[in-house]
Amino acid sequence: MARTENLTGIGSPFAGSRPTKAHAVAVHRWFSARWVLIAVVLVAWFVYCPIVDNFIVSTTYEDIYSGETEFVGLDNYARLLDDPVVWTALGNNVLYAVISILFQVFAAFVLAAIVEGLESDRLRRFWRAVYFIPSAISITVTGLLFYFVYQPRTGLLDAFLSAVGLGNLSLPWLGSEQTAIYAVIAMSQWQGFGYSALLFGLAIQKIPRELYDAAIMDGAGPLRRLFAITFPMTREMTGLMVIVTITGAFQVFNEIMVMTAGGPNNASQVLGTWLYQQGFIQNDFGYGAAIAAVIFVVTLAAGLAQLWYTRRRRVEL
Amino acid sequence: MKRSSLVVALATASVLALSTAPGLARDAVVADPDAKVDYNGTLSVLTKFGLQQLSPYFVNVAKAYEALHPGVKIELIQESDDSIKGKTKTLVASNSLPDVYFSWTGSWGENFVRGHRAVDLSKVIGPDTPWGKTISPAAVKAFEYNGKLYGIPLYLDAKFMGYSKPLFDKAGIAVPKTFEELLASCDALKKSGTTAIALGNKEAWPALHYIGQLVAYNVPTATLERDFDPAKATFDDPGYVAALDQFKQLADRCTDGAAVNGTSYASALQSLSNGDSAMYYQEIIEFDQSAAADTKLKRDEFGFFRLPPPAGAKGDVKAIEGAPEGYMISAASRNIPLAIDFMKFVTSPANAKVLSAPPYGQPSATIGGASPSDMNPAVVEGLKDIAEADYLMPWLDTANTPRVAAAWLSSIQALLGGTMTADQVMASVKKASAADAKRK
Repeated sequence: MARTENLTGIGSPFAGSRPTKAHAVAVHRWFSARWVLIAVVLVAWFVYCPIVDNFIVSTTYEDIYSGETEFVGLDNYARLLDDPVVWTALGNNVLYAVISILFQVFAAFVLAAIVEGLESDRLRRFWRAVYFIPSAISITVTGLLFYFVYQPRTGLLDAFLSAVGLGNLSLPWLGSEQTAIYAVIAMSQWQGFGYSALLFGLAIQKIPRELYDAAIMDGAGPLRRLFAITFPMTREMTGLMVIVTITGAFQVFNEIMVMTAGGPNNASQVLGTWLYQQGFIQNDFGYGAAIAAVIFVVTLAAGLAQLWYTRRRRVEL
Repeated sequence: MKRSSLVVALATASVLALSTAPGLARDAVVADPDAKVDYNGTLSVLTKFGLQQLSPYFVNVAKAYEALHPGVKIELIQESDDSIKGKTKTLVASNSLPDVYFSWTGSWGENFVRGHRAVDLSKVIGPDTPWGKTISPAAVKAFEYNGKLYGIPLYLDAKFMGYSKPLFDKAGIAVPKTFEELLASCDALKKSGTTAIALGNKEAWPALHYIGQLVAYNVPTATLERDFDPAKATFDDPGYVAALDQFKQLADRCTDGAAVNGTSYASALQSLSNGDSAMYYQEIIEFDQSAAADTKLKRDEFGFFRLPPPAGAKGDVKAIEGAPEGYMISAASRNIPLAIDFMKFVTSPANAKVLSAPPYGQPSATIGGASPSDMNPAVVEGLKDIAEADYLMPWLDTANTPRVAAAWLSSIQALLGGTMTADQVMASVKKASAADAKRK
């Protein structure tokens, strides 16, 4: 009874009615529903309203200085199709995703499997620390660091090439339209590789040791164990990493801004930086919002596809 | 109504509401010269002095003002040349412009005026007003839009080629008098094992400054000014292509070529200061950073000259690229008289002299605010050159609309990298200009 009295507080439609067990349950439900409702409102307001708002803004042309807004329908989306920089940026995002999947999913998985397969606990801890350290550095700091690594002539990379007699391979890494995006992607892999490997390591640690023991008794070698046990048993983590990598590749921004600002001649532009430049440099928020909508659709599609795939192929013990 | 229909209806209603809304149309705000100053409250100030060397200037001025008026707090937001561009637009978009904010002249400042974001200062800074009489009239006029004055010029700026006297001596060359002599000097410097010109074009605007000066030499001034107006711009004068071809020659013979697109402006400046490069095209406000007590290149080893004009140039060979830079007062400020009073303090002769002298070296726009005895002699000489110029060529990236500026910036990176020709650069600029005209 005391609980019921406490729950029938101010605002309850049941205040003053005769307390019964059914009544108490109803009151409890109403009380809980109020908190759920608050959560729903907050999530809708702060998570989903901005998304809807972005789609609305993408159908307008807004002059930020005067605040005047003009409804332009789907003009911004039509303009997207005719904008060669959008296609370059989209291509760079896809390139980013493909290379990141190779390094941050498959290569990181192999590295984690090798490290977790080491007999010595001390060695395992040592290598985990070695490959994880770059991930602990801010991406902006890493971008600046690699900006100096790639400096023509004086940078670490060109100095190394000269030192080993390969000076003729020196290139303006960030200054050339042909190499700029690859130079930035390479830095991202260096930075993100260890984090992915660490997550794979955690997934591998959860695999029951007995499975490996049984496989060894059946004569399975390291490669066989990798593909027959480790890979299927970490499928969910692999799926998750693919989603995170693809969405990350479409949200990339900081490293491009720090290292090339999208140049030279927009060759290293990605959708995120082009969005920023359209919105905040060229004052065209509507067009920027249309680019944001493309990023949203692509990342949502990637996420849904990967979720569907991992659910369908889940391995139960 | 089905749920999906409801969502569509709501979205459509929102869009219609947006499209038919009157916007945020504001009335023009005019400063009243007789308004009483209320020395209470906080004044926010957005500066372009975020660099380590420059930032103490506004910090010290703010402290001095607060000491004079204990009821006032100055809130400084200090940004660098690059970061202020994005920051300002973010503040505009969120209706959070500070009471006082930095502005370039040209199209950049015009945006604030068009959007009624800036206070009309004509009655307080006009040539016949007490304050106006203390500031260079030409500098004040640079912030004139629609016959009204909106800016408070803080310092004068122009572009010069700084050089290292020891490296010129080592290569056995003298200050070039023509563009062709400059190219020949580069060959001699390269032979002596020195990078002739340090150019860092990662930010894309440093190369545009060369183009700006060369365009002023090659394109008649009237044509140039017509092309600054999006409604009339054609960009079809052959002088543009000539200027771009000249710049390409300079880039190929004097700089690291395509590598400059991966080098920052600051790194290039350091290259001159460290004695690694013989020349660096810089603003007069950077003279005190190029050669100082703690740099390898000492002040007496630093020289400068105007980018020499090419033979047969069809434009104004006495033009110099540069413009005053200054501040505007936000039309939304709650204490406009206080903001004006603070800027009167900033531009007072005493503070102007501090600004003009090392380590700041920003030649003040205040009359009598530059004391040659306290200033770097190179800055004093540079100011004479500015005074003798026929025409001040504005920065192309702030004089043009953002879309046209973006076309210039990216295309010139391509020109440097060898993936676009001068004709293709101009085609790109024309295309952007046409798109702008359509929008207007």
